[in-house]
Amino acid sequence: MEKSKKFFKEADKNTLALFGIALLIFALMGIFAPGSFLGIANLQGMCIQFPEYGILALGMMLAMISGGIDLSLVGIANFSSIIGSIVMIKTGGSGTSILLGIGAALIVGALCGTFNGFLIGYLRIPAMLVTLCGLQLYTGLGLAVTKGPALTGLPESYSLLANGAFFGIPIALLIFIMVFLIVAYILRATVYGQHVLYMGTNDIASKYSGIHNLKITITTYLIGGMLGAVSGILMASHYNSAKADYGSSYTLLTLLIVVLGGTAPEGGKGKVAGVAMAVIVLQLVSSAFNILRVNSFVKTFVWGLLLLAIMIITKVVESKKKE
Amino acid sequence: MNKKVKQILTTNEIIVVYIIIALCILIGIVNPVFLGMSTAITLSRAMLITLIFAICEMVVIISGGIDVSFPAVACIAMYSTIRFVIAFGIESPIFAYGMVALIGLAFGALNAYLIAKIKLPPLIATLGVSSVANGATLAFLGTKEISNIPEKMDALSKVFLISYTNSQGITYQLTALILIPVSMIIVAYYVLKYTMLGRGIYAIGGDKNAARIAGFNVTRIQFIVYMSSGLFAGIGGLTYTILMRQASPQSLMGSEMMVIAAVVVGGTRITGGHGTVIGTILGVLLIAIVQNNLIMLGIPTHFQTFVVGLIIVIGTSITSLRAKKIANSAKV
Repeated sequence: MEKSKKFFKEADKNTLALFGIALLIFALMGIFAPGSFLGIANLQGMCIQFPEYGILALGMMLAMISGGIDLSLVGIANFSSIIGSIVMIKTGGSGTSILLGIGAALIVGALCGTFNGFLIGYLRIPAMLVTLCGLQLYTGLGLAVTKGPALTGLPESYSLLANGAFFGIPIALLIFIMVFLIVAYILRATVYGQHVLYMGTNDIASKYSGIHNLKITITTYLIGGMLGAVSGILMASHYNSAKADYGSSYTLLTLLIVVLGGTAPEGGKGKVAGVAMAVIVLQLVSSAFNILRVNSFVKTFVWGLLLLAIMIITKVVESKKKE
Repeated sequence: MNKKVKQILTTNEIIVVYIIIALCILIGIVNPVFLGMSTAITLSRAMLITLIFAICEMVVIISGGIDVSFPAVACIAMYSTIRFVIAFGIESPIFAYGMVALIGLAFGALNAYLIAKIKLPPLIATLGVSSVANGATLAFLGTKEISNIPEKMDALSKVFLISYTNSQGITYQLTALILIPVSMIIVAYYVLKYTMLGRGIYAIGGDKNAARIAGFNVTRIQFIVYMSSGLFAGIGGLTYTILMRQASPQSLMGSEMMVIAAVVVGGTRITGGHGTVIGTILGVLLIAIVQNNLIMLGIPTHFQTFVVGLIIVIGTSITSLRAKKIANSAKV
């Protein structure tokens, strides 16, 4: 008893609140539409959808913890998946060529991320501007390579990556869990993870305490770029094609997730568990809307309201605490 | 004297002018038709809407914030006004402009409240408002394009200031609506340069706390900045509809990137406190030239997004590098 009390006290309030909301949605939907919402098909469908933007959200969270922001993730995802697909198609479509394609996509993602990090860390251009330009740049590159239409003709077996299941568990979900664990490990147990938190809290102080800010910044955006590439690989596998403007609504969505998950936009604070919880809540809301046949534009409206509401509540609570 | 000339020849604005001249010469060599009256008229028409938004965005950025909600605000204000006007058969363009301005003002006030009172980061606040406004437009007002705009309003698009017919008999006309951005430019120039409010906008962009201690009412200035941004976003939206002669609830979405880019290329620092009206005009001109004339240079359309992105990255790098150099140089 004593122990569980302590556990609840120490657990993040925000994450707990999100967990509560998720349970509430499950309960409500279980009452109103038990057949369709709790059915295996819907649960599996959800598990295929959310890893795509969930992984992007983890990248966004890292950038935000470092005191920046990464709006170019969707652009990186599409561009790297386009390059990966080209490699896959050019090398024939066998098992090795799929691996080659995935490798190429990851490299492209890392390169794009490094470019972002260089501009932000070395030239000291504000992250928002760099990544906003980056979005344009990488989407433009993708358009230039594909000339507009979607790239098709990807190997059949590649689509298993997002759509397949392993003992009934969707592979996409397994990938998400893996990425989640890696990012959690990096943030909690590595020197880089500590440094990025310090830098996000106060970059001048971290510089004078001997932290190599430029290196940390570049690493942050490099990891972000690679996460973008992973998400791009999943997207390409999900649609079995690659295009320069897939997932254009994900930028706002990832921002919303990260802020919902309790990451401070000023930097220095963020929890992987919170972000994962926020991803699940949003997916539940979105699925519930689909099943209740609500106009999909209402979703945009509600997401915007949610973003503002959460931010306002956090701010008000914070200022109350100070008093 | 020599030093002063050198200083003038290396300001941000002049660098943009160099790039524009070089680009014009390049396009002129490839396609001599470019250097003519017709291009001037086409370009000013292309710049019209961007200028309206860019001037507002510049003022917001100078004040140390950012506003990415203006396309959504413009769309919701314009679309609801058009539907209202058609439903009740109101013909007067003045009424429509009044209504659009009021709706824009309301959204601007919402932005200002979130940013100045609750102290949300401007990007997140305006992104949220943008999502709310855009979602509301599409979900509650409909997704249909409206082309039966009231006649008196439609007539506005046929009032021309200048008419020019080239040797092939094609007529180029400059719409009178260009007077809206022109008057905005004059007002913005005057306010930023010669009034206490203008000084205050620069001051809070430089350092909010210092500005407050110096006696500026930071909250009031932020309210004025974001509310006027919302107001002119609405006006810009309606003007766009009149020019295009149809109202679409999505038409302006996605233009925020280009406008912010134009402002920043024109030498306004994204971190606030710096920026000029003339620089912004030049930035808008540069982007308009690039967007409209890449085809003349033989660059295929699917390269366009990339080339525009590249120009923005280079433009912003130059301004940021200069800012870094100034920050590192010895203070006197």
